Amino acid sequence: MSKVEGGKISGRQLMAVLVLSRVVPITVAFPMITELRVPQDAWIASLLGTLLSIPFVLLVVRLGLKFPDKTIIEYSELLLGRYLGKLVGLILVWYWISVVADVARELGEAYTTAIMPETPILVFMIVTAFLAANAARNGLEVVGRMGENGVWVVLFFLIVMFVLPYDEMRFKNLAPVLAHGLRPLAAPTGTVVSFFLQFIVLGMVLPYLNRPKDAVRHSVYAVLASGLLMTWLAIVLVAVFGPTVSGLAMPAFSLSRMISIANFLERIEAITMGAWTLSSEIKLALFLWASAVGLAQVFGISRFQSFVYPLGAIAVAFGILFFESNVDLQRFLQFRNLGVYSLIVAAGTTAILYVAALLRGRLRLGPGVRR
Amino acid sequence: MLGMLWRLLSRRIERTQGSAQAETGSVEGRISSRLPVNRERIKAAFGNSADLVFRDLQTGAQGKISALVVHIDGLVDKRQVAEAVIEQITDMGLKWDSPRQAYADLKARLLSASGVEEVDSLDKFITHVAGGHSGVLIDGIGKGLVCDTRGWEQRGIDEPTTEATVRGSKEGFVETLRTNTSLLRRRIMGSQLRIEEMRIGRITKTRVAIAYIAGVANHETVQEVRNRLRRIDADAIHESGNIEEYIEDAPFSPFPTILRTERPDKVTGALLEGRIAILTDGTPFVLIVPATFTMFLTSTEDYYERYFIGSVLRLLRVAAFFISLTLPSLYVAVTTFHQEMLPTPLVLSIAAQREGIPFPAVVEALLMEFVFETLREAGVRLPRVVGQAVSIIGALVIGDAAIRAGLASPAMVMVVAFTGIASFATPVFSLAIGVRLLRFLMTVLAGVLGLFGIVAGMFALLIHLTCLRSFGVPFLEPLAPIVFSDLKDALLRAPWWALRTRPQFTGKKAPTRQAPGLRPRPPSAEEKEVHHLVGKEGGK
Repeated sequence: MSKVEGGKISGRQLMAVLVLSRVVPITVAFPMITELRVPQDAWIASLLGTLLSIPFVLLVVRLGLKFPDKTIIEYSELLLGRYLGKLVGLILVWYWISVVADVARELGEAYTTAIMPETPILVFMIVTAFLAANAARNGLEVVGRMGENGVWVVLFFLIVMFVLPYDEMRFKNLAPVLAHGLRPLAAPTGTVVSFFLQFIVLGMVLPYLNRPKDAVRHSVYAVLASGLLMTWLAIVLVAVFGPTVSGLAMPAFSLSRMISIANFLERIEAITMGAWTLSSEIKLALFLWASAVGLAQVFGISRFQSFVYPLGAIAVAFGILFFESNVDLQRFLQFRNLGVYSLIVAAGTTAILYVAALLRGRLRLGPGVRR
Repeated sequence: MLGMLWRLLSRRIERTQGSAQAETGSVEGRISSRLPVNRERIKAAFGNSADLVFRDLQTGAQGKISALVVHIDGLVDKRQVAEAVIEQITDMGLKWDSPRQAYADLKARLLSASGVEEVDSLDKFITHVAGGHSGVLIDGIGKGLVCDTRGWEQRGIDEPTTEATVRGSKEGFVETLRTNTSLLRRRIMGSQLRIEEMRIGRITKTRVAIAYIAGVANHETVQEVRNRLRRIDADAIHESGNIEEYIEDAPFSPFPTILRTERPDKVTGALLEGRIAILTDGTPFVLIVPATFTMFLTSTEDYYERYFIGSVLRLLRVAAFFISLTLPSLYVAVTTFHQEMLPTPLVLSIAAQREGIPFPAVVEALLMEFVFETLREAGVRLPRVVGQAVSIIGALVIGDAAIRAGLASPAMVMVVAFTGIASFATPVFSLAIGVRLLRFLMTVLAGVLGLFGIVAGMFALLIHLTCLRSFGVPFLEPLAPIVFSDLKDALLRAPWWALRTRPQFTGKKAPTRQAPGLRPRPPSAEEKEVHHLVGKEGGK
């Protein structure tokens, strides 16, 4: 067991953290929907994407369980040799940092466009990254516990958001189903999958599970739960806004603006923003933790804490530098950019590692190591 | 960050410290067999203090055995000293031939105080005398006897002033340690209740007791408490608050991680959950460890009233806790940054109210909060008669006059007043006081960053609270990590017959506390039959 991180989390906490990090990109914006030419089929795309992601997650978990006490960074070195392994490790750390940069920028953009247009975006990004780094510095245990708490809050508000606009829902908007066949669904399905590819962070978390047996069950549950939430949200969005939904910058946020109950419960978008900020923070904390621990392990340093704040600062800088504007950011989230990028980085490394494990497994790892 | 600063500072302090330790006043050596030597040394140890009383006695068959009784005036029950000690030595001593016989006789049966102990170190002898025992020394014997003749003026057992309840015991702890332990003993008659005692403080030598229930409390936790208490090497312990600061897990947190209470029933409840109580002589406040966050929002009355009332009251307190933390900041954020979130008529009315007010909402809120806190502080410290005047002036100042003078808007006064009321709903003062501080911080955050500031502040608090531990138990347990079996007695309270298991972290040694199936229900037909038969037989 590496000494870099000493905490342990439960399967439930793992599931909570995963669900939160998958729910983040749909709670305010909804990247997949904007690239649909036929928004009526959004729910099919999200369902398909979810189902397609399960094999990937199973692959990551299976790989992780072959090395029950090693993180993906450590066993990539075992499998691919010292230098190639470290290179893969650095690529993964880069990937997680880019996720952090992307989420932080997204959060800043949402706040500046929707709520506080006069405040510079850097303020939001720095505060968010600082807090997330603060949580990450305290280790996986703390992140897990906060996730376990936060998930209830976030789910509650999501479900409120899904149910309350029932007045505005026109389920006729969902027709026609598959008018143009499956072909236009390819890109949005890819986007859905590309966000699920972020679950490669499981490779960092698995060795710290208190009962590794729970890993398969809870990660698949996490995929299913977040996938179903997404599908439900897609249905509600289309039912409320109709085909125009793909023109909205932040469809879910606009949805929460529609809610009005008895002239009393009005304009609850602030609450949505709050819940979303909470989940973003937890996602940032998880990925900052993963990249800090990863970096520490790549360079063989025993304290990951010293990396957390610098990595947070770097991620904020990246978040500013990567994207010119909100439009640019939204374009990045589409399949032909983010999707291809994550497929190469996350799915590619997983595939390489798995093949290496298979080859080596026949050669060196006996049945005792393989589970 | 505070921790780092502190480490830097303390390195400085250690360097300058050197030999600054206070004179401990301890007397080396054993009791001498020569009485005048002992007498001089005791006198020297107390530095000729005025309340030290020596009583020289001559006794024995030939009147040749000299004895000395030492005690401190005011700490002993004079009648008991006379009857149980002096009379025994003078009257019964007439048949003694040698000092050795006298000593053996006294030790074995004559001194009729309930606690008699033999000591041979002079230091121990003096400590006992200073604690209200009477010391007996006999010339020619190198040992001394100390008899428990303690009896001093003390406050009667009274209703606890800081934790009054409608239903439940009206007894509160007092300043005397022995009375306090007796209050616990009277509630837990089983012999499993363990009370360990130690003395802390080089000069005050304050008596501190640890109470726990053997077989329920974790050994490791009890040992940890002992270790942390033994670590304290200070001149003085004035109140349990001093101990709290020496042994708490998070010395820089605004949240207390040790619960304090004046109520014996609260302590017994905690003991039966496997927690440990620390009683300190000289204060009615008893410390309970490990403490969790939900315990600070709990009142003993929740357990005495019917369970759904108790549950609703707890939820109310949780709501009040959040209100007292965030209401002013929410008001500031919404009126400054997010007016669109309020219903339009309300926005208009608030805008109209704020028409003539020269400050931004943050300043207004901080100002009113400051006035309110000052009034509260003044009201707490003043004598009751004057206190009333303060509250009248306060009501005028904070309410009417501030508005008429154009310093504050009516909505703001309402917000501040309600926040104040809500903060009184927190049952434990030490938590409420921390929240009071954080409220100012939240208000400033809201004034700078609006709702985002509040969310950021709450998130930072959540991180902090999640990291806290109290004697090995996560502070937010059972909320984070979620422990489903403990949620029954956290924000809600399940019916008493459903509280079958103890909290997992503290009570894992003896997990169940009652038999299953205690839920009351109408008797089934069979049971009725049996009762009927039994009743008939009894009637015969």
